[in-house]
Amino acid sequence: MATKIQEPISIPMTVSVPYRFAAGSYLTKCLIGLRDHGTLFAVECPKCKRVQLPPRIVCATCHVRNERWVELGLEGTLVAFTIMYLPLTDPTTGKPHNPPFVYGTVRLDGATSVLDHFINVEPDLEKIRVGMRCRMILRPQAERIGDLSDILYFDPIPG
Amino acid sequence: MKRNVAIIGGGQTFHAARRHDVDQAEMVNEAVRAALNDARMTMDEIDLVILGNMEFFEGTHMTDCWLVHGTGAYGKQGLKITTGGTVGATAVVTAAHHVASGLFPRVLCIGFEKQEEGDTGAILSGVAHPLWGRSLAGAAVGYFAMMGSSYMAAWGATEEHSAMVAVKARQNARKNKYAHLKLDIGIEDVLNSRMLSWPIRMLDMCPASNGACAMILADEKTAKARCKKPVWIRAMDTAHNEQFELDWRDVKTTRPIFSRTCAKRIYRKLGVQKPSEYFDVFEVYEPATWSELVWYEDLGLCAPGEGFRLIEKGVTEIGGAIPVNPSGGVLSTNCIGASAMLRVWEAALQIRGDAGEHQVPKDVRRALTTAYGGTNWTVMTALSRTLDD
Repeated sequence: MATKIQEPISIPMTVSVPYRFAAGSYLTKCLIGLRDHGTLFAVECPKCKRVQLPPRIVCATCHVRNERWVELGLEGTLVAFTIMYLPLTDPTTGKPHNPPFVYGTVRLDGATSVLDHFINVEPDLEKIRVGMRCRMILRPQAERIGDLSDILYFDPIPG
Repeated sequence: MKRNVAIIGGGQTFHAARRHDVDQAEMVNEAVRAALNDARMTMDEIDLVILGNMEFFEGTHMTDCWLVHGTGAYGKQGLKITTGGTVGATAVVTAAHHVASGLFPRVLCIGFEKQEEGDTGAILSGVAHPLWGRSLAGAAVGYFAMMGSSYMAAWGATEEHSAMVAVKARQNARKNKYAHLKLDIGIEDVLNSRMLSWPIRMLDMCPASNGACAMILADEKTAKARCKKPVWIRAMDTAHNEQFELDWRDVKTTRPIFSRTCAKRIYRKLGVQKPSEYFDVFEVYEPATWSELVWYEDLGLCAPGEGFRLIEKGVTEIGGAIPVNPSGGVLSTNCIGASAMLRVWEAALQIRGDAGEHQVPKDVRRALTTAYGGTNWTVMTALSRTLDD
């Protein structure tokens, strides 16, 4: 009897897991400000003076309580960026981002920390550069839900 | 260290994109058997087993429990390590600490990943804060792309420089029989490969590999009695960054970041003045081309902003003055839980003179290895051929 070579068994499976995430008192204050008033608040460490975003209760470097709240402007500077060509899925919604799209790291004026978000420019290297000034654009207030998706993107500031 | 610790054996699997012929335990067991054979030991002689891989990358948890027949840990003391890309190096450090404690003379440590069985990108999105960054998470490639854009803007390097790193890695891998991507490529091939996330192209990125690595660490007495070529662990260090804060996305940052902090500390421990002269070979953790250039600078192999000059001049080739990743590195083989252990094991092979075709031509007495986990912390391990080195 001829021996038939068997393909090894390999079974595809999917796991989907529901989560609920508690933002905590500091981030809640920041996100409610963003949602209800279109403001962005960071905290400043009393010791090292780093202005930290998202706001957190303890400064990781100094191990002291952050107590001073600082309102940031909505403008900043692009520190790094990429043009993404992969059809990445947004893990928070399960919906695909639409490539190619540009996202980057922005340091808001007055902040030590940075924020990663979409940059509203064409995926064209002539139109993007590190050091470019940009402004945060929010969703209309009625559509905001209290997370970073309330920020639509950063618009480049001409000049 | 209070008590000396040596690597007295090790082994690895052949690394590949597809390993449907084995399950996870069978694959891990290939590396364990290779390590035991190399050390001429049996499982009975092992006092403790440390297993490392990433939780849920294969859709499984607590692999220390259900891979026990493959790891050899049945009835033995042991623990499980999960620390991102650093897993394998953390397993080595943990093994070394246990040996150095004097309580466990012979410790087996194992790192593995079977990437084809899960969705690494999806699970990795859990590394990001759910409300602050996760929506753009899901692929390491975007992070390294930002590192590349920052690097080019800061120092004037070009995409050709990152392509040189890609070529070096895959040409070195061709000499390493265990490596996954053995590609006979040139700079044009890299620049013509598919753009994933500017400036990162397909050939700028590591593959998704299946594989395992295992090593046996022992105390000085066992090492000297049992092993002809023990490789000594001379110093280890780890440093964390803070989630949310800038690191390599701003290569000009002057704030102390994990990689530079860790290098500074390990050099101080060893009394290293000039790392490029003190160490004979480096195995660094470079999932993307740009990260190797940044490692050159963070390790002090050159001044900040001059990393791309090193690759341009061929200084870090196998036959160069400062060989970096003669094995082909993570760019050629990335079985995540094993990748950082492979850096240590490959460095040990170089010191033993057992690396085969990818053995660096100069005398190797000391080596430094790095790893990073997430992108915010590092583990470094320094090795030497003798206790006088």
